[in-house]
Amino acid sequence: MGYVAIKGGGEAIEGTKTVFDYLRTRQGDTAKPLDTDTIEHQLRLLHSRVISEGGVYHPRLASLAIKQAQGDTLEAAFVLRAYRSTQPRLVETPALNTENMRITRRISAAFKDIPGGQMLGATTDYHLRLMRMDLLDESPERFCAVAKEWFTKKTETDIPDSVIPDTFPKVLESLRNEGLLPSVDGTARNRDPFDITREPLIFPVPRSAALATMARAEQGSLLAIAYSNMRGYGDVHPTVAELRVGYLPVMLPHPITGELTEIGEVEITECEVVAMYEEQGSSSVAGGRMPGATEDEEGNDKPTFTLGYGACFGHNEVKAISMAILDRALQAGMKNGPRNPSEDPEFVLLHVDGIDSMGFCTHYKMPHYVTFQSDMDRLRTTQQKQNNKEQTI
Amino acid sequence: MTEMKIMMIDRTLWVSALKALPIEQLLSFTTELSKDWAIRSKSIPQSGLGMLRLNDSAFEEAFYLGEFPLASAWLEIETSDGLIAEGAAQVMDDRIEAAEALALCDAVLSAQLPGWEQLNKMLDQGMEIRESASQNRKHMLASTKVDFSLLDEVAPDAMEGKNAES
Repeated sequence: MGYVAIKGGGEAIEGTKTVFDYLRTRQGDTAKPLDTDTIEHQLRLLHSRVISEGGVYHPRLASLAIKQAQGDTLEAAFVLRAYRSTQPRLVETPALNTENMRITRRISAAFKDIPGGQMLGATTDYHLRLMRMDLLDESPERFCAVAKEWFTKKTETDIPDSVIPDTFPKVLESLRNEGLLPSVDGTARNRDPFDITREPLIFPVPRSAALATMARAEQGSLLAIAYSNMRGYGDVHPTVAELRVGYLPVMLPHPITGELTEIGEVEITECEVVAMYEEQGSSSVAGGRMPGATEDEEGNDKPTFTLGYGACFGHNEVKAISMAILDRALQAGMKNGPRNPSEDPEFVLLHVDGIDSMGFCTHYKMPHYVTFQSDMDRLRTTQQKQNNKEQTI
Repeated sequence: MTEMKIMMIDRTLWVSALKALPIEQLLSFTTELSKDWAIRSKSIPQSGLGMLRLNDSAFEEAFYLGEFPLASAWLEIETSDGLIAEGAAQVMDDRIEAAEALALCDAVLSAQLPGWEQLNKMLDQGMEIRESASQNRKHMLASTKVDFSLLDEVAPDAMEGKNAES
């Protein structure tokens, strides 16, 4: 068998589109096509995942991507990422602060009493993982009644800002004020971040490249590597100082007045973890001090907790926590050299992108006729040589 | 009185207030309002992406969180009475017509061109929608706020045990 040219697949490939679309619609006459609003609201966590991994906060197109990909998160994120690659970059926002988030959920595992209080919001954390059989044959009336009931109860009283303010202080601030956290490097906020959409990752990369890569990484990949650290291939042992979910106002200067103007908002999840403290003197690194290391009055490094940070588009708590753990692990790896996979920036950052890894994996389904032919030729030759040798003996 | 009212809503909130309204309502209003006006672009209306730069709250180091759709427009308007004004808008949307409508509203409101009173009412409507969304979020928070005062009734030893388990 000689070289097999890849021909004759055109009609078959066209056919796959028809079959793929047929399977979406085969439910029959009673079926209704999914609309994008339904996907955004009723599958909101799936939607959050795709919007985060796609890297573009475009709720309508994220829903469309989920519909088009028939629920495959990797494929949907791929479609969204492909869309973004066709769009021009017009502007960059000034650095926004999450202190301005309009919170929908806020918890701390470090303190029970945090300024403003802990509010669980929408979560399944404390639910029994039992099937809700009533959802199997949910009537449209019952479905609408749930929201109606909520709004009826809600409109009874308005909640003043004094009870629930628009924004909440950060839990880390109280620890920082007590001198338990590394000090903030004032110059870091003015440093231009690494743009992973424009530049390839050539190691070593700055922390901003790691954060940006993890912000649009695939949740399962981040979780798997963070889990390895949690289980023992690492030493982060984090405490979640604060996990918040909410809407961040997006601000841009008004083209005429130059004043910062709210142009929309994005839902984000953010997590700060506090981890084991650094021993005295350990915050020094070659070429300077570790970012955020604190000095006492005599100029010595002061032991402080270490920190990890995670944030991403949408409501993705597992992702934000995993990212925070890995941020802390990577800081340790960048400082002392990696002691395990989760501390190795090259290992982590080159293996967490869903589009990259899925692409590499699925490419193995594509025709490899020539390379495999070559493999077979080599094997046959080797077998032949071995036969010849045995006959000679 | 109405002049006082327009001052109450800051220009920095006009886009988000008007964006809260159905886009069809805004487009039909601006189309009707400007049907006899001359509108010139001061810069080419565009749609594309903006990049969100975020300060990480652990070390206050900036990084790029991701992108968002963005449309922008900057217009010069001449009314049928010869009044001239400029307006501009950037909005999280991929529709250029949305940015153009908002830029037109920006011009009308800032120069108080004909139709600004109606637009001011629309601003109020938009702010009400925003406030309603804010109240909805606050109700979600209020109804899930943890009351740790109940923990005080638990003996410290029992708490220690629970903490150790976790």
